[in-house]
Amino acid sequence: MDKTNENKPILSAKDINKWFGDLPVLKGVSLDIAEGEVVVIIGASGSGKSTFLRCINFLEEAQKGTISFRGKKIRKQGRDLNKLRTEIGMVFQHFNLFPHMTVLGNVMEGPVQVRKMPYKKAEKHARALLEKVGLGDKADVYPSTLSGGQKQRVAIARALAMNPSVLLFDEPTSALDPELVGEVVQVMKDLANNDGMTMIVVTHEMWFAKEAADRVLFMDDGIILEEATPDKMFSEPEHERTKQFLQQILNN
Amino acid sequence: MEGFFPWDFTVVPAKFHLFASAAGYTLYITTLGILAGIITGLVVALAKISKRKALNKLASVYIFVIRGTPLLLQLFIIYYGMTAIVTVPPLASAVIALGIHNGAYIAEIFRGAIQSIDYGQMEAARSLGMTRGRAMRRIVLPQAFKRAVPPLGNQFIIALKDSSLASTIAVPELLLRGRQMGSSSFMYMEMLVIVAIWYLLMTGVLSYVIHRVETRLKVSDRG
Repeated sequence: MDKTNENKPILSAKDINKWFGDLPVLKGVSLDIAEGEVVVIIGASGSGKSTFLRCINFLEEAQKGTISFRGKKIRKQGRDLNKLRTEIGMVFQHFNLFPHMTVLGNVMEGPVQVRKMPYKKAEKHARALLEKVGLGDKADVYPSTLSGGQKQRVAIARALAMNPSVLLFDEPTSALDPELVGEVVQVMKDLANNDGMTMIVVTHEMWFAKEAADRVLFMDDGIILEEATPDKMFSEPEHERTKQFLQQILNN
Repeated sequence: MEGFFPWDFTVVPAKFHLFASAAGYTLYITTLGILAGIITGLVVALAKISKRKALNKLASVYIFVIRGTPLLLQLFIIYYGMTAIVTVPPLASAVIALGIHNGAYIAEIFRGAIQSIDYGQMEAARSLGMTRGRAMRRIVLPQAFKRAVPPLGNQFIIALKDSSLASTIAVPELLLRGRQMGSSSFMYMEMLVIVAIWYLLMTGVLSYVIHRVETRLKVSDRG
Protein backbone atom coordinates (compact mmCIF):
# COMPACT_ATOMS: atom_id res chain seq x y z
CA MET A 1 0.00 0.00 0.00
CA ASP A 2 2.86 2.38 0.63
CA LYS A 3 3.09 4.56 -2.45
CA THR A 4 5.33 7.24 -0.96
CA ASN A 5 8.22 6.06 -3.08
CA GLU A 6 9.29 9.50 -4.23
CA ASN A 7 11.03 11.79 -1.86
CA LYS A 8 10.10 15.15 -3.31
CA PRO A 9 6.59 16.21 -2.38
CA ILE A 10 4.33 17.13 -5.29
CA LEU A 11 2.37 19.48 -3.08
CA SER A 12 3.53 21.17 0.04
CA ALA A 13 1.67 23.40 2.48
CA LYS A 14 3.82 25.21 5.01
CA ASP A 15 2.70 26.81 8.23
CA ILE A 16 -0.77 27.77 7.00
CA ASN A 17 -2.45 30.26 9.33
CA LYS A 18 -5.96 31.54 8.83
CA TRP A 19 -8.30 33.69 10.85
CA PHE A 20 -11.97 34.40 10.27
CA GLY A 21 -12.05 37.88 11.77
CA ASP A 22 -10.52 37.44 15.23
CA LEU A 23 -11.12 33.72 15.28
CA PRO A 24 -8.10 31.59 14.46
CA VAL A 25 -9.18 28.56 12.41
CA LEU A 26 -5.80 27.29 11.22
CA LYS A 27 -2.82 27.61 13.53
CA GLY A 28 0.18 26.66 11.48
CA VAL A 29 -0.80 23.60 9.46
CA SER A 30 1.88 21.95 7.32
CA LEU A 31 1.54 19.01 4.98
CA ASP A 32 3.78 17.42 2.39
CA ILE A 33 2.18 15.02 -0.02
CA ALA A 34 4.08 12.72 -2.37
CA GLU A 35 2.98 11.83 -5.87
CA GLY A 36 0.43 9.00 -5.75
CA GLU A 37 -0.17 9.40 -2.06
CA VAL A 38 -3.68 9.37 -0.58
CA VAL A 39 -4.15 11.42 2.57
CA VAL A 40 -7.40 11.39 4.51
CA ILE A 41 -8.15 14.25 6.89
CA ILE A 42 -10.63 13.62 9.68
CA GLY A 43 -11.77 15.82 12.54
CA ALA A 44 -14.82 17.34 14.17
CA SER A 45 -16.71 20.11 12.42
CA GLY A 46 -15.00 23.39 13.18
CA SER A 47 -11.58 21.74 13.42
CA GLY A 48 -10.44 23.56 10.28
CA LYS A 49 -10.12 20.55 7.97
CA SER A 50 -12.28 21.94 5.15
CA THR A 51 -10.74 25.38 5.47
CA PHE A 52 -7.27 23.85 5.19
CA LEU A 53 -8.29 21.97 2.06
CA ARG A 54 -9.71 25.17 0.55
CA CYS A 55 -6.51 27.04 1.36
CA ILE A 56 -4.56 24.57 -0.79
CA ASN A 57 -6.17 25.82 -4.01
CA PHE A 58 -6.71 29.32 -2.64
CA LEU A 59 -10.51 29.22 -2.44
CA GLU A 60 -9.71 30.58 1.01
CA GLU A 61 -6.82 32.92 1.41
CA ALA A 62 -4.48 32.08 4.25
CA GLN A 63 -3.06 35.12 6.02
CA LYS A 64 0.24 33.35 6.59
CA GLY A 65 1.99 30.36 5.07
CA THR A 66 2.90 29.09 1.63
CA ILE A 67 1.68 26.53 -0.87
CA SER A 68 4.24 24.97 -3.20
CA PHE A 69 3.49 22.79 -6.18
CA ARG A 70 6.31 20.67 -7.59
CA GLY A 71 8.75 22.71 -5.59
CA LYS A 72 7.49 26.05 -6.89
CA LYS A 73 5.93 28.54 -4.52
CA ILE A 74 2.52 29.72 -5.68
CA ARG A 75 1.74 33.41 -5.60
CA LYS A 76 -1.75 34.39 -4.60
CA GLN A 77 -2.74 36.34 -7.67
CA GLY A 78 -3.17 35.93 -11.37
CA ARG A 79 -1.74 33.37 -13.72
CA ASP A 80 0.13 31.34 -11.12
CA LEU A 81 -3.08 30.69 -9.31
CA ASN A 82 -5.19 29.78 -12.35
CA LYS A 83 -2.44 27.47 -13.54
CA LEU A 84 -2.22 25.80 -10.14
CA ARG A 85 -5.95 25.21 -10.22
CA THR A 86 -5.72 23.39 -13.54
CA GLU A 87 -3.33 21.00 -11.79
CA ILE A 88 -5.37 20.57 -8.63
CA GLY A 89 -8.92 19.38 -9.13
CA MET A 90 -11.59 19.84 -6.49
CA VAL A 91 -14.72 17.91 -5.63
CA PHE A 92 -17.21 19.74 -3.42
CA GLN A 93 -19.62 18.62 -0.75
CA HIS A 94 -22.57 20.06 -2.65
CA PHE A 95 -21.31 18.98 -6.11
CA ASN A 96 -21.63 22.47 -7.60
CA LEU A 97 -22.46 21.12 -11.04
CA PHE A 98 -23.39 23.73 -13.62
CA PRO A 99 -27.19 23.36 -13.89
CA HIS A 100 -27.46 25.15 -17.25
CA MET A 101 -25.23 22.61 -18.99
CA THR A 102 -25.71 18.95 -19.76
CA VAL A 103 -23.63 16.37 -17.94
CA LEU A 104 -21.33 16.20 -20.95
CA GLY A 105 -21.14 20.01 -21.06
CA ASN A 106 -20.12 20.08 -17.40
CA VAL A 107 -17.27 17.65 -18.00
CA MET A 108 -16.10 19.39 -21.20
CA GLU A 109 -16.23 22.93 -19.82
CA GLY A 110 -12.77 22.96 -18.21
CA PRO A 111 -10.83 21.35 -21.07
CA VAL A 112 -12.54 23.46 -23.76
CA GLN A 113 -12.56 26.82 -21.95
CA VAL A 114 -9.33 26.63 -19.99
CA ARG A 115 -7.13 24.10 -21.74
CA LYS A 116 -8.40 25.17 -25.19
CA MET A 117 -8.80 21.54 -26.18
CA PRO A 118 -10.54 21.05 -29.56
CA TYR A 119 -14.24 20.33 -29.10
CA LYS A 120 -14.22 16.85 -30.64
CA LYS A 121 -11.27 15.72 -28.61
CA ALA A 122 -12.75 17.15 -25.40
CA GLU A 123 -16.04 15.38 -26.09
CA LYS A 124 -14.34 12.02 -26.62
CA HIS A 125 -12.30 12.52 -23.46
CA ALA A 126 -15.40 13.54 -21.48
CA ARG A 127 -17.44 10.56 -22.68
CA ALA A 128 -14.62 8.21 -21.70
CA LEU A 129 -14.49 9.75 -18.21
CA LEU A 130 -18.26 9.46 -17.79
CA GLU A 131 -17.96 5.82 -18.81
CA LYS A 132 -15.26 5.42 -16.18
CA VAL A 133 -17.49 6.74 -13.38
CA GLY A 134 -20.34 4.56 -14.64
CA LEU A 135 -22.46 7.31 -16.20
CA GLY A 136 -21.83 6.82 -19.91
CA ASP A 137 -25.57 6.77 -20.55
CA LYS A 138 -26.20 10.09 -18.76
CA ALA A 139 -24.00 12.30 -20.94
CA ASP A 140 -26.82 14.22 -22.56
CA VAL A 141 -29.14 14.85 -19.62
CA TYR A 142 -29.14 17.86 -17.30
CA PRO A 143 -27.77 17.49 -13.77
CA SER A 144 -31.19 18.17 -12.22
CA THR A 145 -32.37 14.74 -13.35
CA LEU A 146 -29.60 12.88 -11.49
CA SER A 147 -29.44 11.44 -7.99
CA GLY A 148 -26.95 12.87 -5.50
CA GLY A 149 -24.55 9.99 -6.01
CA GLN A 150 -24.69 10.40 -9.77
CA LYS A 151 -24.13 14.14 -9.44
CA GLN A 152 -21.05 13.61 -7.35
CA ARG A 153 -19.67 11.11 -9.84
CA VAL A 154 -20.19 13.67 -12.62
CA ALA A 155 -18.37 16.21 -10.44
CA ILE A 156 -15.46 13.77 -10.12
CA ALA A 157 -15.42 13.28 -13.90
CA ARG A 158 -15.47 17.07 -14.33
CA ALA A 159 -12.43 17.42 -12.08
CA LEU A 160 -10.64 14.53 -13.82
CA ALA A 161 -11.24 16.07 -17.24
CA MET A 162 -8.51 18.63 -16.56
CA ASN A 163 -6.02 15.77 -16.06
CA PRO A 164 -5.05 17.11 -12.66
CA SER A 165 -2.03 15.90 -10.73
CA VAL A 166 -3.83 16.16 -7.41
CA LEU A 167 -7.49 15.84 -6.45
CA LEU A 168 -9.00 17.50 -3.41
CA PHE A 169 -12.24 16.11 -1.96
CA ASP A 170 -14.18 18.29 0.46
CA GLU A 171 -16.55 15.96 2.33
CA PRO A 172 -17.71 14.40 -0.95
CA THR A 173 -20.30 12.10 0.63
CA SER A 174 -21.67 14.28 3.45
CA ALA A 175 -24.60 15.59 1.43
CA LEU A 176 -25.62 12.17 0.12
CA ASP A 177 -28.36 9.84 1.24
CA PRO A 178 -26.72 6.88 3.01
CA GLU A 179 -27.54 4.38 0.25
CA LEU A 180 -25.77 6.55 -2.35
CA VAL A 181 -22.48 6.87 -0.48
CA GLY A 182 -21.12 3.54 -1.69
CA GLU A 183 -21.10 4.31 -5.41
CA VAL A 184 -19.14 7.54 -4.87
CA VAL A 185 -16.62 6.00 -2.49
CA GLN A 186 -16.12 3.13 -4.93
CA VAL A 187 -15.14 5.58 -7.69
CA MET A 188 -12.76 7.32 -5.30
CA LYS A 189 -11.23 4.01 -4.25
CA ASP A 190 -10.64 3.01 -7.87
CA LEU A 191 -8.92 6.34 -8.48
CA ALA A 192 -6.67 5.84 -5.48
CA ASN A 193 -5.86 2.16 -5.94
CA ASN A 194 -5.97 1.64 -9.70
CA ASP A 195 -4.98 5.01 -11.14
CA GLY A 196 -2.52 6.03 -8.46
CA MET A 197 -4.15 9.46 -8.20
CA THR A 198 -2.72 11.80 -5.60
CA MET A 199 -5.61 12.68 -3.32
CA ILE A 200 -6.37 14.70 -0.22
CA VAL A 201 -9.75 13.72 1.13
CA VAL A 202 -11.70 15.31 3.95
CA THR A 203 -14.21 12.63 4.90
CA HIS A 204 -15.78 10.60 7.65
CA GLU A 205 -15.98 7.45 5.54
CA MET A 206 -13.71 5.25 7.59
CA TRP A 207 -13.79 2.34 5.19
CA PHE A 208 -12.47 4.56 2.45
CA ALA A 209 -9.65 5.61 4.77
CA LYS A 210 -8.94 1.99 5.70
CA GLU A 211 -8.91 0.69 2.15
CA ALA A 212 -7.33 3.54 0.24
CA ALA A 213 -5.42 5.93 2.49
CA ASP A 214 -1.68 5.92 3.04
CA ARG A 215 -1.96 8.38 5.89
CA VAL A 216 -4.74 9.66 8.09
CA LEU A 217 -4.51 13.08 9.72
CA PHE A 218 -6.63 14.03 12.68
CA MET A 219 -7.25 17.76 12.88
CA ASP A 220 -8.40 19.40 16.06
CA ASP A 221 -8.81 23.08 16.83
CA GLY A 222 -6.79 24.35 13.88
CA ILE A 223 -3.81 22.01 14.08
CA ILE A 224 -2.90 18.50 12.93
CA LEU A 225 -3.01 16.77 16.28
CA GLU A 226 -2.17 13.31 15.10
CA GLU A 227 -0.92 11.60 11.97
CA ALA A 228 -0.68 7.86 11.36
CA THR A 229 -1.36 5.01 8.98
CA PRO A 230 -5.06 4.12 8.90
CA ASP A 231 -4.47 0.87 10.82
CA LYS A 232 -2.63 2.63 13.58
CA MET A 233 -5.02 5.58 13.70
CA PHE A 234 -8.12 3.43 14.03
CA SER A 235 -6.72 0.75 16.35
CA GLU A 236 -4.46 2.64 18.70
CA PRO A 237 -4.74 6.44 18.44
CA GLU A 238 -2.34 8.31 20.67
CA HIS A 239 -4.34 11.27 21.87
CA GLU A 240 -7.39 11.24 24.07
CA ARG A 241 -9.15 13.72 21.68
CA THR A 242 -8.59 11.36 18.77
CA LYS A 243 -10.00 8.42 20.71
CA GLN A 244 -13.10 10.40 21.68
CA PHE A 245 -13.66 11.54 18.14
CA LEU A 246 -13.24 8.09 16.59
CA GLN A 247 -15.56 6.63 19.18
CA GLN A 248 -18.25 9.15 18.31
CA ILE A 249 -17.87 8.47 14.58
CA LEU A 250 -18.00 4.72 14.99
CA ASN A 251 -21.02 4.89 17.27
CA ASN A 252 -23.00 6.78 14.66
CA MET B 1 -81.67 64.76 -19.62
CA GLU B 2 -83.02 61.27 -20.19
CA GLY B 3 -80.88 59.12 -22.45
CA PHE B 4 -78.08 61.64 -22.29
CA PHE B 5 -74.69 60.09 -22.87
CA PRO B 6 -71.85 62.54 -23.52
CA TRP B 7 -69.51 60.22 -25.46
CA ASP B 8 -69.71 58.60 -28.84
CA PHE B 9 -67.64 55.46 -28.66
CA THR B 10 -68.66 54.36 -32.11
CA VAL B 11 -65.70 56.43 -33.34
CA VAL B 12 -63.31 54.11 -31.44
CA PRO B 13 -63.17 51.37 -34.09
CA ALA B 14 -63.40 53.93 -36.89
CA LYS B 15 -60.44 55.99 -35.75
CA PHE B 16 -58.41 53.16 -34.23
CA HIS B 17 -56.03 52.72 -37.16
CA LEU B 18 -55.06 56.40 -37.16
CA PHE B 19 -52.92 55.68 -34.08
CA ALA B 20 -50.80 52.95 -35.66
CA SER B 21 -47.82 55.15 -36.54
CA ALA B 22 -47.91 56.73 -33.07
CA ALA B 23 -47.88 53.24 -31.55
CA GLY B 24 -44.86 52.58 -33.76
CA TYR B 25 -43.06 55.50 -32.10
CA THR B 26 -43.99 54.18 -28.67
CA LEU B 27 -42.59 50.76 -29.53
CA TYR B 28 -39.48 52.29 -31.06
CA ILE B 29 -38.65 54.43 -28.00
CA THR B 30 -39.38 51.57 -25.64
CA THR B 31 -37.33 48.98 -27.51
CA LEU B 32 -34.26 51.17 -27.92
CA GLY B 33 -34.63 52.50 -24.36
CA ILE B 34 -34.79 48.97 -22.96
CA LEU B 35 -31.81 47.82 -25.01
CA ALA B 36 -29.77 50.77 -23.78
CA GLY B 37 -31.06 50.05 -20.28
CA ILE B 38 -29.96 46.40 -20.42
CA ILE B 39 -26.44 47.30 -21.54
CA THR B 40 -26.16 50.10 -18.97
CA GLY B 41 -27.68 47.85 -16.32
CA LEU B 42 -25.21 45.03 -16.95
CA VAL B 43 -22.22 47.37 -16.80
CA VAL B 44 -23.46 49.08 -13.64
CA ALA B 45 -24.31 45.74 -11.98
CA LEU B 46 -20.84 44.36 -12.69
CA ALA B 47 -19.32 47.59 -11.39
CA LYS B 48 -21.38 47.30 -8.25
CA ILE B 49 -20.20 43.75 -7.46
CA SER B 50 -16.63 44.39 -8.65
CA LYS B 51 -13.77 44.09 -6.21
CA ARG B 52 -12.66 47.64 -7.05
CA LYS B 53 -13.96 50.05 -4.44
CA ALA B 54 -14.01 53.04 -6.80
CA LEU B 55 -16.25 51.19 -9.27
CA ASN B 56 -18.62 50.17 -6.46
CA LYS B 57 -18.95 53.78 -5.37
CA LEU B 58 -19.53 55.02 -8.90
CA ALA B 59 -22.25 52.43 -9.49
CA SER B 60 -23.92 53.24 -6.17
CA VAL B 61 -23.97 56.95 -6.91
CA TYR B 62 -25.44 56.31 -10.36
CA ILE B 63 -28.22 54.17 -8.93
CA PHE B 64 -28.87 56.63 -6.10
CA VAL B 65 -29.15 59.64 -8.41
CA ILE B 66 -31.19 58.00 -11.17
CA ARG B 67 -33.63 56.16 -8.93
CA GLY B 68 -33.98 59.19 -6.69
CA THR B 69 -35.13 61.62 -9.35
CA PRO B 70 -38.20 61.52 -11.62
CA LEU B 71 -37.84 60.21 -15.16
CA LEU B 72 -39.61 63.32 -16.42
CA LEU B 73 -36.93 65.49 -14.83
CA GLN B 74 -34.19 63.38 -16.43
CA LEU B 75 -35.91 63.74 -19.77
CA PHE B 76 -36.07 67.55 -19.39
CA ILE B 77 -32.43 67.74 -18.34
CA ILE B 78 -31.42 65.94 -21.53
CA TYR B 79 -33.82 67.76 -23.84
CA TYR B 80 -33.83 71.30 -22.40
CA GLY B 81 -30.89 71.29 -20.00
CA MET B 82 -28.25 70.26 -22.50
CA THR B 83 -29.08 72.87 -25.11
CA ALA B 84 -26.20 75.09 -23.96
CA ILE B 85 -23.80 72.44 -25.24
CA VAL B 86 -25.73 70.30 -27.68
CA THR B 87 -29.25 70.08 -28.99
CA VAL B 88 -30.55 66.56 -28.52
CA PRO B 89 -33.53 65.85 -30.81
CA PRO B 90 -36.78 64.78 -29.08
CA LEU B 91 -36.69 61.15 -30.17
CA ALA B 92 -33.06 60.70 -29.13
CA SER B 93 -33.72 62.47 -25.83
CA ALA B 94 -36.53 60.05 -25.08
CA VAL B 95 -34.41 56.99 -25.89
CA ILE B 96 -31.45 58.25 -23.86
CA ALA B 97 -33.59 59.16 -20.86
CA LEU B 98 -35.35 55.78 -20.89
CA GLY B 99 -31.99 54.02 -21.26
CA ILE B 100 -30.36 55.86 -18.37
CA HIS B 101 -33.41 55.50 -16.17
CA ASN B 102 -34.00 51.81 -16.82
CA GLY B 103 -30.26 51.18 -16.57
CA ALA B 104 -30.40 51.97 -12.87
CA TYR B 105 -33.36 49.66 -12.19
CA ILE B 106 -32.04 46.87 -14.41
CA ALA B 107 -28.64 47.13 -12.70
CA GLU B 108 -30.33 46.30 -9.40
CA ILE B 109 -32.24 43.43 -11.04
CA PHE B 110 -29.01 41.97 -12.45
CA ARG B 111 -27.09 42.50 -9.23
CA GLY B 112 -29.78 40.68 -7.26
CA ALA B 113 -29.88 37.84 -9.78
CA ILE B 114 -26.08 37.46 -9.86
CA GLN B 115 -25.86 37.44 -6.08
CA SER B 116 -28.66 34.88 -5.84
CA ILE B 117 -26.51 32.34 -7.70
CA ASP B 118 -24.91 29.98 -5.20
CA TYR B 119 -21.29 30.99 -4.64
CA GLY B 120 -20.32 27.35 -5.13
CA GLN B 121 -20.85 27.90 -8.87
CA MET B 122 -18.13 30.53 -8.96
CA GLU B 123 -15.87 28.33 -6.82
CA ALA B 124 -16.38 25.28 -9.04
CA ALA B 125 -15.57 27.35 -12.12
CA ARG B 126 -12.50 28.90 -10.50
CA SER B 127 -11.32 25.48 -9.31
CA LEU B 128 -11.16 24.44 -12.97
CA GLY B 129 -8.69 27.26 -13.52
CA MET B 130 -11.09 29.78 -15.05
CA THR B 131 -10.45 33.47 -14.54
CA ARG B 132 -13.08 35.42 -12.63
CA GLY B 133 -14.26 37.05 -15.84
CA ARG B 134 -14.64 33.78 -17.71
CA ALA B 135 -16.39 32.15 -14.75
CA MET B 136 -18.78 35.06 -14.65
CA ARG B 137 -19.48 34.89 -18.40
CA ARG B 138 -19.71 31.13 -18.79
CA ILE B 139 -21.19 30.02 -15.49
CA VAL B 140 -22.76 32.75 -13.36
CA LEU B 141 -24.31 35.17 -15.87
CA PRO B 142 -26.23 32.56 -17.94
CA GLN B 143 -27.91 31.37 -14.75
CA ALA B 144 -28.42 34.90 -13.45
CA PHE B 145 -30.11 35.99 -16.70
CA LYS B 146 -32.71 33.28 -16.28
CA ARG B 147 -33.52 34.46 -12.78
CA ALA B 148 -33.68 38.04 -13.99
CA VAL B 149 -36.39 37.29 -16.58
CA PRO B 150 -39.48 37.83 -14.38
CA PRO B 151 -38.38 41.17 -12.86
CA LEU B 152 -37.00 42.27 -16.24
CA GLY B 153 -40.37 41.59 -17.85
CA ASN B 154 -41.96 43.76 -15.24
CA GLN B 155 -39.46 46.52 -15.97
CA PHE B 156 -40.19 46.29 -19.72
CA ILE B 157 -43.87 46.90 -19.08
CA ILE B 158 -43.08 49.88 -16.87
CA ALA B 159 -40.76 51.25 -19.57
CA LEU B 160 -43.45 50.87 -22.22
CA LYS B 161 -45.84 52.98 -20.16
CA ASP B 162 -43.12 55.46 -19.15
CA SER B 163 -42.43 56.13 -22.82
CA SER B 164 -45.61 58.25 -22.76
CA LEU B 165 -43.59 60.95 -21.00
CA ALA B 166 -41.98 61.61 -24.38
CA SER B 167 -45.26 63.30 -25.34
CA THR B 168 -44.11 66.28 -23.25
CA ILE B 169 -41.21 66.96 -25.61
CA ALA B 170 -43.22 66.56 -28.81
CA VAL B 171 -42.35 62.99 -29.77
CA PRO B 172 -45.38 61.92 -31.83
CA GLU B 173 -46.05 58.80 -29.77
CA LEU B 174 -49.38 57.41 -28.57
CA LEU B 175 -50.29 59.81 -25.81
CA LEU B 176 -49.41 62.91 -27.78
CA ARG B 177 -51.44 61.60 -30.71
CA GLY B 178 -54.39 61.07 -28.38
CA ARG B 179 -54.22 64.62 -27.07
CA GLN B 180 -53.91 66.06 -30.56
CA MET B 181 -56.80 64.03 -31.92
CA GLY B 182 -58.84 64.92 -28.85
CA SER B 183 -58.32 68.63 -29.16
CA SER B 184 -59.00 68.74 -32.90
CA SER B 185 -62.21 66.68 -32.67
CA PHE B 186 -63.38 67.70 -29.17
CA MET B 187 -63.68 63.97 -28.48
CA TYR B 188 -61.02 63.70 -25.79
CA MET B 189 -62.48 60.73 -23.99
CA GLU B 190 -62.99 58.71 -27.15
CA MET B 191 -59.46 59.35 -28.36
CA LEU B 192 -57.92 58.63 -24.97
CA VAL B 193 -59.82 55.33 -24.83
CA ILE B 194 -58.26 54.44 -28.16
CA VAL B 195 -54.85 55.24 -26.67
CA ALA B 196 -55.65 53.04 -23.66
CA ILE B 197 -56.60 50.13 -25.91
CA TRP B 198 -53.35 50.47 -27.86
CA TYR B 199 -51.34 50.41 -24.63
CA LEU B 200 -53.28 47.40 -23.36
CA LEU B 201 -52.66 45.55 -26.61
CA MET B 202 -48.95 46.14 -26.36
CA THR B 203 -48.58 45.39 -22.64
CA GLY B 204 -50.83 42.35 -23.12
CA VAL B 205 -48.65 40.90 -25.86
CA LEU B 206 -45.53 41.70 -23.84
CA SER B 207 -46.94 39.97 -20.73
CA TYR B 208 -47.80 36.93 -22.78
CA VAL B 209 -44.33 36.71 -24.31
CA ILE B 210 -42.65 37.10 -20.92
CA HIS B 211 -44.87 34.41 -19.48
CA ARG B 212 -43.96 32.05 -22.32
CA VAL B 213 -40.25 32.71 -21.88
CA GLU B 214 -40.51 32.08 -18.12
CA THR B 215 -42.24 28.75 -18.66
CA ARG B 216 -39.68 27.69 -21.25
CA LEU B 217 -36.77 28.54 -18.93
CA LYS B 218 -38.25 26.62 -16.01
CA VAL B 219 -37.91 23.35 -17.93
CA SER B 220 -34.11 23.27 -17.98
CA ASP B 221 -33.62 24.84 -14.56
CA ARG B 222 -32.81 23.57 -11.09
CA GLY B 223 -29.58 21.95 -10.07
